[in-house]
Amino acid sequence: MTKKLLMIDDDPDFVSGIKAILDKGGFEVDVAYNPKDGMTALQTKQYDLLLLDIMMGRGAEGIMIARKLRKDVKLRELPVLIMTGMREQIAFLFPGEPIHPRFVEIDELVEKPVEPKMLLEKVNSLIAAAEAKKAGKK
Amino acid sequence: MKEFAYFPGCSLEKMASSYHMSAMETTQKLGVKLNELDDWNCCGATTYFYIDELLAYTLCARNLAIAEKTGLDVVAPCSACYKNMFFTAAHLKKDEDLAEHVNFALEEDNLHFSGNVKVKHLIEVFAQDIGPDELKSKVTKPLEGIRIAPYYGCQIIRPQKEKEDVEQPQFFEELISAIGATPINYPLKMRCCGGSLIISSRTAALTMVRNLLQSAVDNQAAVIATACPMCQVNLEVYQQQVNLEFGTNFSVPVMYFTQLIGMALGIPNKKLGIGKEFVAMAPTPLAVETAWGLPRKTK
Amino acid sequence: MTDTITFGQEISNLLHAAEGEPLKTCIQCGTCSGTCPVAGYMDNSPRQIIALINLGKKEQVLESNTFWYCASCYHCTVRCPQEINITELMYALKRYSIWKNRYKEGLIGPTFSEAFVKMIVRGGRSFEPVLATSYIFSFNTREFVQEIQGATELLLKGRLPLLPARIKRLENFRRMIGRIIPMGGLE
Repeated sequence: MTKKLLMIDDDPDFVSGIKAILDKGGFEVDVAYNPKDGMTALQTKQYDLLLLDIMMGRGAEGIMIARKLRKDVKLRELPVLIMTGMREQIAFLFPGEPIHPRFVEIDELVEKPVEPKMLLEKVNSLIAAAEAKKAGKK
Repeated sequence: MKEFAYFPGCSLEKMASSYHMSAMETTQKLGVKLNELDDWNCCGATTYFYIDELLAYTLCARNLAIAEKTGLDVVAPCSACYKNMFFTAAHLKKDEDLAEHVNFALEEDNLHFSGNVKVKHLIEVFAQDIGPDELKSKVTKPLEGIRIAPYYGCQIIRPQKEKEDVEQPQFFEELISAIGATPINYPLKMRCCGGSLIISSRTAALTMVRNLLQSAVDNQAAVIATACPMCQVNLEVYQQQVNLEFGTNFSVPVMYFTQLIGMALGIPNKKLGIGKEFVAMAPTPLAVETAWGLPRKTK
Repeated sequence: MTDTITFGQEISNLLHAAEGEPLKTCIQCGTCSGTCPVAGYMDNSPRQIIALINLGKKEQVLESNTFWYCASCYHCTVRCPQEINITELMYALKRYSIWKNRYKEGLIGPTFSEAFVKMIVRGGRSFEPVLATSYIFSFNTREFVQEIQGATELLLKGRLPLLPARIKRLENFRRMIGRIIPMGGLE
């Protein structure tokens, strides 16, 4: 069965590049360009994985979404792959220091630009791990 | 006795210490108690909003949460601090997700903001809570004959909060009349002084300062009254630079409204921080100057 | 869901509530430009910037100095007949250009903003002397001398702090910021 992914990212150029890679990889990809549309999509449709940007809209809203997700009974188990360019975006604030969303459980974090082969590998392995976890629970 | 939580803001610590001093002295005299917030932080001026609005809201919310703990409404003397705190409180009340997220961050400092604090500008305390009539009844040295230009600036009245008059407000004029002085009407009283541009777009800002000073002088203002440390510094400290830049010869005192009120209440100049300004209150009738013990302008 | 979005939608997504596209309601009446006290210094007036956004002229907008000249006076905002929060739009454009590292060269505004926020994130309160180093060297000689003269006089009048003010619960404060901006070497 085709795996369904949701990508929440405000940068249309980045989205079109990533979406092309994922389409080619056989995934069905929905895109939301702002956090609000993203939350609506998550609450109304079923996805196998979420690709999430951090800096959107007013600030690091990706973190807001990730926190909300982890508190939601229905969405808690959804694997989340963060793709962020925040080191570039606000590097001046914490030069050379790591990105650390420690307080919210995410599955994987990669920094933009994202290499196609690695992206597909990560997406596949995260979905497989989530499915194995689910099967183990049953 | 009316009581408020008081958020001085960074400028009032040093740059505008005379505003702080005169605010404390005058409110005390008028039966209002201002309690400085414990361990307050910078409101973020406008700059946080360029970088991360969530951060901007969090920093303001920390101060609001500290105020909420005291159970008092909070007062800010700086227009930018006031605007930031006012709208942060409004946004957090309206947006549950935002409030939840900001409160999650505030947990790190054992704080929580539930939205139960009203935010006021210091001038609103005088205009509404005390009121011009009450103020007038306490005046002992009316500033008769002094022509004062009320300078509203921007962020006390803009953006609009509810349905208040944002084009022709009168509360500043009423306060000036209450202390016996003459409020002058001049076209630029609501125009921006360019305070936020003085560093980044200097020529533009200096032009804005010049236009404002010119407008006040054209209408025979003896002094400009402000209710914001940014406006005061911009209009006063940069007056010399305006003169150098444009070949003008401005020498207009720019004072905090609380200093002028303090004088009328008979509070000694020193307690109002008078003496820290670049342009001393001078082009005024000699009698009044002597009465106030103000230094004569020397050229 | 749409395949891609217009530049106008991209900018609308940066606005506070990210709801709809307020800029599309602009009737190009020019009240904002007529009201703006700095319009004369902008390479595109506020009205023009909105038009350019609605036309999708991303490069032209990014190359404009308009939003860095905005003084945050909100005069346009209270007068806009369509109730567009134009000042907030200017903030959004500043944010957009900072995040993309695409602001016009030679502007002091972005560097100054970055230095300011960095200072607050470190100490919790503003300290003018440190801040000054972020811009003073971009000034020409005359401006530099004038600025130093002004600062000296402020200092003599006891209006400049010599030591940075810091808040007491700074560790909590920094961890608080770490929950909003998930960056920086905490612990």
